[in-house]
Amino acid sequence: MTSLDTRLFGFLACLWGGLLIYFYHSTRIRDYLDIGFHHFIMVGGIGMLILGTYSLINPKLQSKKNESSKSCDHDHGHHDEKHHSHNHKQCHDHGDQCDHDHEEGHGPFITIFLTLTPLILAMTYTQDKLSNGGMAKKGLYEKPALTSANIPPFSRQDLEKNVPKNEHGEFQLRMISAYYAAGDLEIQDIFEGLPVELEGRIAPEKINNESGDRLRIFRSIITCCAADLQIVGVSLEFPEGAKRPQLEDWVKASGTLTFETVEGDVLPLLKIREVVSAEEPYSEFRRRQ
Amino acid sequence: MTQERQDQLADGSYEFLAIFLEGLPFIFLGTLVSGFLGTYLPRGAFEKILPKNNTLAVLMSGLLGAVFPVCECAVVPVIRRLVKNGLPVSCALAYMLAAPIFNPVTAISTYKAFNNSPEITISRLAMGYMIAVFIALIVARKAHSFFLKASVKAENGDDHHHPRNLNAALNNSLRDLMDVGLYFCIGVVLTAILKTTVIDPTDDFWKELANNSIVGSIGMMFLAFVLSLCSTSDAFIAANFHNFRYGPKLAFMVFGPMMDAKLIFLYSTVFKWKFILFLFVAIFILTGALSILFETRILPGWMSQQTEILLAP
Repeated sequence: MTSLDTRLFGFLACLWGGLLIYFYHSTRIRDYLDIGFHHFIMVGGIGMLILGTYSLINPKLQSKKNESSKSCDHDHGHHDEKHHSHNHKQCHDHGDQCDHDHEEGHGPFITIFLTLTPLILAMTYTQDKLSNGGMAKKGLYEKPALTSANIPPFSRQDLEKNVPKNEHGEFQLRMISAYYAAGDLEIQDIFEGLPVELEGRIAPEKINNESGDRLRIFRSIITCCAADLQIVGVSLEFPEGAKRPQLEDWVKASGTLTFETVEGDVLPLLKIREVVSAEEPYSEFRRRQ
Repeated sequence: MTQERQDQLADGSYEFLAIFLEGLPFIFLGTLVSGFLGTYLPRGAFEKILPKNNTLAVLMSGLLGAVFPVCECAVVPVIRRLVKNGLPVSCALAYMLAAPIFNPVTAISTYKAFNNSPEITISRLAMGYMIAVFIALIVARKAHSFFLKASVKAENGDDHHHPRNLNAALNNSLRDLMDVGLYFCIGVVLTAILKTTVIDPTDDFWKELANNSIVGSIGMMFLAFVLSLCSTSDAFIAANFHNFRYGPKLAFMVFGPMMDAKLIFLYSTVFKWKFILFLFVAIFILTGALSILFETRILPGWMSQQTEILLAP
C-alpha cells in the first residue's frame, strides 16, 4: 500500500467507526440490535476510529517493490519430513527484511465506493423498523408452533407464583406466553378466560376480521439483530363503541384471554376491556432467554 | 414508485443496516487479531502446536472452536492471516467451517431453542464437525493452486522477515479490515435484496416443503443461504419452522453457518471462486445426506415438533 492508500483506508475506517458510534450515541441502535450487542458497537466503533486515525497520521511509507511471494503448492504434510524434502530457500529468496505487502486487495477508491454507496442508500431509506409487509414475513400473522412433551408441567399455581398482576388483578402476561399457549392444550386450559394485560405495539389485523372490530398487538423477539427477528402477536377484539388505539401506538391492552379456531389453527384472542397508552421501552425487542 | 416497492426499499435498508452493524464489530475484532497474529506469530509456530500426523492435525483443528469460539464473520480474516503464516490450509478450513457450529455459544443457543434438547444440540455439533473435517481432509490432498488465492498463499522462507512492530500489525489489520469489510458489505447487500424481494419464509411454498424431508432439507438449506443468520441465533428461527421435521431443521442449522450469501463473498477473500463453488456443492450434499441420516437412523422416535415456551415474565 502507498501512504495515500493507507490514508484513504484509514479515512474509511474512521467513517465506519463513526457510523457505529453514531448509531450507539443516537440510540438508533436499539431498533437494530439486541441490547446485549450495543456495547460491542461502541467498542468496535472506537477501535475503528483509533485504527483509522492512526493510519491517517502515520501512514506506513512503503517501497513499491512488486515482489510476488512464491509459495509451495501444497499442505506441508504437517512436519512429515518424508513429504517435506524440498528446500524453502529454493522457493524464496528475499532480503533480510521486506517492507511490503504480499496482498492484492482492492484499491481504496473502489472499496470506498462499494461500501459507502449501499450505506448511504440504506441510511437514506431506512425507517428504523419494518413495514407491515416486512413484519408479516417475520411471523406477525403466523400461527404459533405446536409444543412438545418436553416442556415442563405448568399449573395455575405456577402462573400465580411467576406472573405479576396489575391493579385490576389482571395477569401481566408476556406476549410470547399468550402466543405460544395456543400451541399447547394444557396451557390453553389454564389460560382460557384468564384476565390478562398485554403490552406491545398495535398493527392492523388481517385474520378473521371481516367485521373490522379487531386489531393486533405484537412484540418483536430477537437474539442478535433484526435479521433474526420474529414477531409474535395476539388478536384484539374490541366491544362495540370502544375507543381504539392508533396503529403503531405502544399500549397496554387488558381483557379476557381466549382461544379461537380459524381454518383449523388455534389462535389466541384477547377480548378487550380497555386499552391504555404505555411508554415505549428503550428497546421494543424482547430478548430471547 | 409503488407503496410496495417503497416498503421493500425501506425493509431492505433496515435489514442491510441490521446485519452490517451487527457484523462489522466482529469483523474488526477478527481483523485486529489477524493483523497481530500475522505480525507477531513466529513462522513455523503451528508446526510445534499441531500434531505431526496430517489427519490428526485436521481432526484437532475442527475442535478448536470449542476453545476459541468465533462466529463465521470473524473467523475468515483470522484463518486468512493464519494461512499466510503457515497454518496448513486443511487445518484452517476445518477450523473455519466447524468453529461457527462447534462452539459453546452455538451449543447453548441450540439447546435452549430446542427446548433443552441435548439430542438436537449434539446432532448439530456432530454434523458440523464431521462435514468440516471431511472436506478438510479432501482439501489436504489437493494442490493449493486449486483453491487458494495467490495473495493468500503461505509466505514461507527462512530468510523472509517482515518487521514485527505495532505499525506493521496495525497496517495488516487495516488492510484485512478493508478487504474483508468490502466483501462483507457486498454479501450483506445481496442478502438484504434476496430477503426483501425473493424470500418469504411464511409463504405457503415453504410450508409445503415440510411434507417431504428430502425436499424440505433442500429448501431449508436454500433458505439458510439467503437469510444469512448468525450461527448463534439461527436455532431459534429453525425451531419455529414447526411444520418441518428434524432433518430439514438440522440442514438449516448446519448449512447456514458454513455457507450463506454473505459468507461466499467473505470466502472469496481467501479462496478462488471455483473452489467456493466446490465448497458449496460439497457442503450442500453432505449436509443434506447427513440430515436425512440423522433424522431417519440416529434420531428415530423423537418428536418432530418442538418450540420454546417461556412463561415467566
